[in-house]
Amino acid sequence: MTDVSQESRQQQNGRIESSHHPETDSQRQDKNYYGIPPIKKAHWTWQIPIYFWIGGISAGVQLFTTLANVLGHKDQALTRIGRYTALITMILSPILLIWDLGRPERFYNMMRIWKLRSPMSNQSWALLVYGNLSGLIAARQAAEDGLLGRNFLSGLLTKLIPARLLGVLALPVALFVGSNTGTLLSATSVPIWARNWAFMGPTFLASGVSTALSYLSLVLHLGRWGEKKTHHVLRRAERLTILVETALIAASLVRMGKWGKPLFSKEIAPLFVGGTLLAGIAAPFALLFGRETRGKSILASVLALLGGLAFRFAVVLAGRESADDPEAYFSFAKKENVVEPQDNI
Amino acid sequence: MATGFLTDTTVCIGCKACEVACKQWNQIPADGYELTGDSYDNTKQLSGTTWRHVAFIENPKKRRLTGDVDLVALAEDVREQLPGGAELDALGRWTFMSDVCKHCVEAPCQQACPTGAIIRNEFDNVYIQPDICNGCGYCVPACPYGVISQVPHDGRAFKCTLCYDRQRDGLEPACAKACPTNSIMFGEVEELKRVAEERVATLHDKGYTEAFVYGTPEVGGTGGIGGNHSKFILLDDPETYNLASHPFLPQAKVKGALVTSAIAAGVLGAVVAFAFRD
Repeated sequence: MTDVSQESRQQQNGRIESSHHPETDSQRQDKNYYGIPPIKKAHWTWQIPIYFWIGGISAGVQLFTTLANVLGHKDQALTRIGRYTALITMILSPILLIWDLGRPERFYNMMRIWKLRSPMSNQSWALLVYGNLSGLIAARQAAEDGLLGRNFLSGLLTKLIPARLLGVLALPVALFVGSNTGTLLSATSVPIWARNWAFMGPTFLASGVSTALSYLSLVLHLGRWGEKKTHHVLRRAERLTILVETALIAASLVRMGKWGKPLFSKEIAPLFVGGTLLAGIAAPFALLFGRETRGKSILASVLALLGGLAFRFAVVLAGRESADDPEAYFSFAKKENVVEPQDNI
Repeated sequence: MATGFLTDTTVCIGCKACEVACKQWNQIPADGYELTGDSYDNTKQLSGTTWRHVAFIENPKKRRLTGDVDLVALAEDVREQLPGGAELDALGRWTFMSDVCKHCVEAPCQQACPTGAIIRNEFDNVYIQPDICNGCGYCVPACPYGVISQVPHDGRAFKCTLCYDRQRDGLEPACAKACPTNSIMFGEVEELKRVAEERVATLHDKGYTEAFVYGTPEVGGTGGIGGNHSKFILLDDPETYNLASHPFLPQAKVKGALVTSAIAAGVLGAVVAFAFRD
């Protein structure tokens, strides 16, 4: 054996790559442990994005109907739909949320403490308050509509429940529920959510209002209810809200930067780009201009509603991908990116 | 009195006695026989059913063998200059690390928990009360170290209790008791902090200048977390051990998010009100 081959063998010896852990190659810059995610993703299943969607609709409906009331726009059909919708969404929301618990029979433990620092605790209490208020308001409406029969109880409910006042009181709570669906996600260690803490709540709320306006328009059109002005205002408000929502999504994408990549991954891009941006925002926006016809309005509403749902799913699924990516988390959990409590907003 | 762990990874031999002792004492269900094919590590990560996890990091950094190699010295990892110009630390090295819940001073999981199931007990450890937890799963993505997960078929979230039951009876946690090299030390946080500093100083004297303590407010317990009660002595970048170098408290911005949301609510209200004008 010559010296040369000895040398090369020794070099080879050193250079032997073991077959099943190329990640530990010293030449690689991205250090992680066999690609195993350093943080755990949330286990939440389909109930949660659907709740986010319903909660947003509820908040937006409350905003629109309360403002209509306060600004003196009296449309019986609108008020009725708004009040019943609030009740139905506030029945569905807890069902979905409790369904998703690991121990659903212990849901009431949410009510044993109130922690201001925990968005989920705040959310539980807000749902309790808003749910009960919307229940009272809907009871008054049902009594007025004769759904409870023409009896003494009906009369009592109509007299005793100050529905308009309660509606105004419920508004801030409803808006909190709508925005907190986003804040809840941002208060985690998941890079794509946590990075965008400032815009998560606002974006979810704007999308909620947009879907709510579409929902109201859809129901009024399907039932051929509502005054002409209501339809007109809904259309105008929807156009403006879509603009706000688009601006907030754009700001979110800028803020997320490279951590927003999962939204454009092969699995989620159809939901986010196709479902949310094109079908859920651009298409309805285009349909809201030009001649106002029933068919066009219904189509725009359906698209915006489905777009809002796609958006919730896209954000929740993107969070899973983000949590599963060691590089995303390690590059995010660096000194220069961290948000310190003493930082200004 | 606050108690905690100090895990000195420099003396860990990767025997996994801590994993076994923890599983046995706490009667944690099995993870299943999943062969990862990655090194000798088949538990992969901490989870609701793995409260101690030994990471096996293969470290083939300096791999040239030159000159007259003293294999005994090599195995003992001596770093002094050797005759014949032999470079030591030439073989691939193993780095082991027995990972565990960090028992943060400002624990993100505890702040996230909406039921108050996660508390600080009398030993100042972060403890999940299994009779309160309703399995909402919010603590899981909140943890910056990926410690907690929900246990399937049970529904609740679990993690290291720092052997609350043993501590109440004056015993040290099962993993620390089982550790044959004293890599896992249990004691008062202040005392362990001193031990850690001394050990790092000793390591620096021996030439291991890369040694440092992970879990202080400067490294590992950063971003509002205020340090960890479980500290580690590491010999490489935290990322190598699947730990973030600068984790943060996710709840630090809840107030800020409330403010931005309130502004957004005002703007959206104004926009809708604007649409009502004739």
